[in-house]
Amino acid sequence: MVSPVLLLAVPLGLALCVPLVGKVSRRAAGFVPVIATLLNLVLSIRLLPTVLEEPIVANLGGFPPPFAITLFAGPVGMLLSALIALAGLVVSLYALSYIKTGPTVRYHTLYMLLLVGATGVVLTGDVFNLFVFFEILCISSYALVAYVGDRAGIEASVKYLIQGALGSALLLIGIGLLYGLFGTLNMADIAARMGSADPVPVFVAMALIVVGLGVEAAIFPLNAWLPDAHSSAPSSISAILSGIAIQVGLYAVVRMVFTVFGASSMLLFFVFMGLLTLLIGELCAFAQSNIKRMLAYSSIGQIGLIIFAVAIATTDSVTGGLFQMVSHTLGKALLFLAVGYMVYRSGSMEISSLEGMGRRMPLTSFAFTIGAFSLVGLPPFVGFPSKLLIVRSALVGQEVLLQVLIGLVLLATVVEGAYFFRVIQAVYFKKGEGQEARQDAPPMALFSMFVFVVLIVVIGVYPNLITDVLESGASELLERANYIGSVLG
Amino acid sequence: MSLGLLLIVAFGGSLLTYLLGKVSARIRDAFAVLISLAVVVMVASLYGKALRVPFYEGFLGMPLVLRVDGLSWLFAIVASVLGCLSVVFSLGYMKGKERTSFYYSMLLLVSAAMLGVVLSGDLLSLFIFWEIMSWSTFLLISYNGGPALAAGMKYFVMSFVGSLAMLAGVVTLHGSFGTLEFTGVAAGMSSASPGYVLAILVLFGVAFGTKNAIWPFHAWLPPAHSEAPSPFSAVLSGVLIKMGVYGFLLLMFVIVGLRTFLSLGVGRIEFHTVLSIIGAITILLPTFIAIFQNDAKRLLAWSTVAQAGYIILGISFGTSLSVAGGMFHFLNHAVFKALLFMVVGAVEYRTNGVRDLDSLGGLIKRMPVTFIVAVIGVCGLIGVPLTNGFVSKWLIYKTLILERSPFLAFAALFGTWGTILYSYKFLHNIFLGQLPQRYEDMERAPFTMLLPMTILSVVVVLFGVLPGIPLAVIDTIGVSFGFESLHVTPWGIASDTGALNTVNMLVAALVGLVVVWCIFRSGARSVSVGQADSYAAGAAVPRDKYQYSVRFYAPLRRMMAPYLKDLVDSFYMRLAGWVRGLGDGLRRIYTGYVGDYVMYILVFLAVLIFVQIAWSPW
Repeated sequence: MVSPVLLLAVPLGLALCVPLVGKVSRRAAGFVPVIATLLNLVLSIRLLPTVLEEPIVANLGGFPPPFAITLFAGPVGMLLSALIALAGLVVSLYALSYIKTGPTVRYHTLYMLLLVGATGVVLTGDVFNLFVFFEILCISSYALVAYVGDRAGIEASVKYLIQGALGSALLLIGIGLLYGLFGTLNMADIAARMGSADPVPVFVAMALIVVGLGVEAAIFPLNAWLPDAHSSAPSSISAILSGIAIQVGLYAVVRMVFTVFGASSMLLFFVFMGLLTLLIGELCAFAQSNIKRMLAYSSIGQIGLIIFAVAIATTDSVTGGLFQMVSHTLGKALLFLAVGYMVYRSGSMEISSLEGMGRRMPLTSFAFTIGAFSLVGLPPFVGFPSKLLIVRSALVGQEVLLQVLIGLVLLATVVEGAYFFRVIQAVYFKKGEGQEARQDAPPMALFSMFVFVVLIVVIGVYPNLITDVLESGASELLERANYIGSVLG
Repeated sequence: MSLGLLLIVAFGGSLLTYLLGKVSARIRDAFAVLISLAVVVMVASLYGKALRVPFYEGFLGMPLVLRVDGLSWLFAIVASVLGCLSVVFSLGYMKGKERTSFYYSMLLLVSAAMLGVVLSGDLLSLFIFWEIMSWSTFLLISYNGGPALAAGMKYFVMSFVGSLAMLAGVVTLHGSFGTLEFTGVAAGMSSASPGYVLAILVLFGVAFGTKNAIWPFHAWLPPAHSEAPSPFSAVLSGVLIKMGVYGFLLLMFVIVGLRTFLSLGVGRIEFHTVLSIIGAITILLPTFIAIFQNDAKRLLAWSTVAQAGYIILGISFGTSLSVAGGMFHFLNHAVFKALLFMVVGAVEYRTNGVRDLDSLGGLIKRMPVTFIVAVIGVCGLIGVPLTNGFVSKWLIYKTLILERSPFLAFAALFGTWGTILYSYKFLHNIFLGQLPQRYEDMERAPFTMLLPMTILSVVVVLFGVLPGIPLAVIDTIGVSFGFESLHVTPWGIASDTGALNTVNMLVAALVGLVVVWCIFRSGARSVSVGQADSYAAGAAVPRDKYQYSVRFYAPLRRMMAPYLKDLVDSFYMRLAGWVRGLGDGLRRIYTGYVGDYVMYILVFLAVLIFVQIAWSPW
């Protein structure tokens, strides 16, 4: 049997090979991430059926848990690592043509480190290990945000660095507190001993960890770095940051709150935080005139929706939340990729400069439209089943509070629809200034966009393709005792 | 014939049309016409059948089912026929416009989605097709650019609010009954509490009411109808908004059931009475707004809102006569309103897009056939005897009078009076009066435009003289709802309270005509008078200096204008502005100053810990 360790070891090794390959040929360096993510994707999909039956627990160093560093590959971990590998693969294909200038070799190295960090966060079963992978993820994204090297990029990157470093520091203090309380760093072990500890320090540790991770997870009001960073980064990186990085941060929060702390009394608070994040994200996006900032705020909104769904904490709602993660990754990454070339061709990020793009870049505009329809939640695209599941899970219990809240969620969706459709109108139905000749994105970039388009439509029509994985993922998150049992044996 | 195949042809045809457009415009046009004809034939062959076809096992655990019965067949045939005629009309209208492949494929997609809506056998597939219909309509409304963008946006936002309300309703029903198939939901609803049924009715009512543009959800319709390409306006006005009527019929009489529906209410206020009053308001206000419109399509659009009011009034009143009248009026309105939008389309086509009623006139000389079909259409709209509109309005008036609802009857009659005023304005300002010099050399409308218009005008007269043909279909639907049969005869209905016999009317009209003709023949010979003479009493009028159609109905307007403000619309616009302002305000949370951001993080952490230590809520 293949070990999930390979999912981390191989890309990490290859990431360090990128500079060497770059010495030989700068062009060849771009193919290393493609190979690594392809390997990871195949491996994750191969492992998925196995982990659906029983999670794989890999103990590094040969000690039994809780002394070893544990990797825990359950349905959620494998789902997210497959998603990371998929998005990573498509975006690295896109980057082959998109990243042409600047220190490209360093770009590819950092890009792979980012993905390794993300994969590590979703697979680890150890709190300190979580911190390490989290730092790998964050540090490489700070650097990549500044990749273009213009003033806006560097400013955004420094802002991101300051807030991210603060978050990491809080996270580390929280982990230190946990270690002091329980004398162990293994998640399952901490979870098993949770009941024996004094609640106040445990709460302080949880608050520190949630806030620390929440900065990356873009929970309001910890998300102020996001619009700057996502809009100033090169679009391929924006796609990964929006589609993968913040969701990985969110996964870490969910894992800590659900599994490690088992804080079911906090859930209602998170329902409200999710709703607040959603409303603020969507309303701010509505007020934007810069396309990439609009997409960035829309990511905040989507994260809010995921938090809302997961915090309801029924099997259906967590399934819906995980589904929304998948559909957000596909949709938002696609949007950033499409916008990347539109912005590149028009030279400006203003929505008004996208006028007439439907004629100039028909296929790219088409891809953008599909992504927007999907995010708004229109059938037959993937955003529809995920939103349907969330709404269904919120209404099924017939609780008045949730009925009112879901009304607000639906209103936020209307706002979301309004700003996306405004862009679609600008792209197709407004005449651009000069009628320029058709000049679509290069074939490789189009290919990568259409991979997402096909997935969006296929999963949108056959959501049952992935619902099994999502449902067992939901039960993995909700059933804490099983998690503890499968790690500690 | 399987229903799945029908939908595959309809949806696949739309996609293929787009792809063929890349090859050749002529092949694409022919293919589009062919597909829409094929769909008509396939729908027609379903007549009288009752089928149920599951087509998708478990979409997230909810099976999707298609079905056909009398109700869905009636709507399906109207949608497919109008779709087909509109494609034919577009052949001429769209010539030389850009992005035609997109246009045709969207037109076919809208028709396909409408078929999907009416052929759905469960609420989830209804919702899915409903949404596809909404976004494809949005794309077509926005097609023209310019002012059409705002119209499209308004349409999308309002219809999206409606469909999300519907989604909430669908999901709630699934939670309660575990099934979404109409029969299953209906069985569950019969034992549900009245409050629950009412809540469901309101949720779905928002969706269907928005699509059908009943007051106060009508604000999207006038701009959308007037800015869309004219052949699509015909579909939009004729059948797309009637999907709301279909939804209401389905909800009230199939899912909730006639008896429950009529007894539903809060205290002494009955739900169906409220709905019929809303119908009456929807007749009155828009009719008078329509009178003062100067844009031909906007006039027709407001008229559509008003006519939708008749339909809602009919079906919500809930007697066998009134429901039949409502359904028949839906059918008639589809025919004559599509016809009138096509007339405007033809005029627009020949005048290079002019539809301002103040600058047209005298086109009767240049477009005689178009004029005749316009007269027929207008007669149908007013409800002149021997046209189809007469019969459906007669059914509605008769119910209102028989059931002693003087105010509603007055509203309906008053609405008709207004209809006469705006219809005459429409006819006069386009076709009568002086012909402006710039249109001296105008050509007739092309054949591809005349053909669908002629077909529709024949239908207007046919259904007026022999209303029994459609009424037979409508009566079987009514019986399936649980109403008693109307005893339909080919020329009307036989009932205890006075039969309707259109053949007698036809004979009377013909005899009258002969008598009048004889009297005039026997009198003095007619003298032909020049047009300038009849307008200016013989004085020489410089051409194009005076336009006698400008400021039509000015005195009436002075009288009524203060009362005809569309408060609902300005309320929505203010709401939209308020949301934008809110977004702008919230944006300022993100000050751009990193010190503030760090403060947010630390304050959030501090508050969390403080709250827990002080009150320990968690």
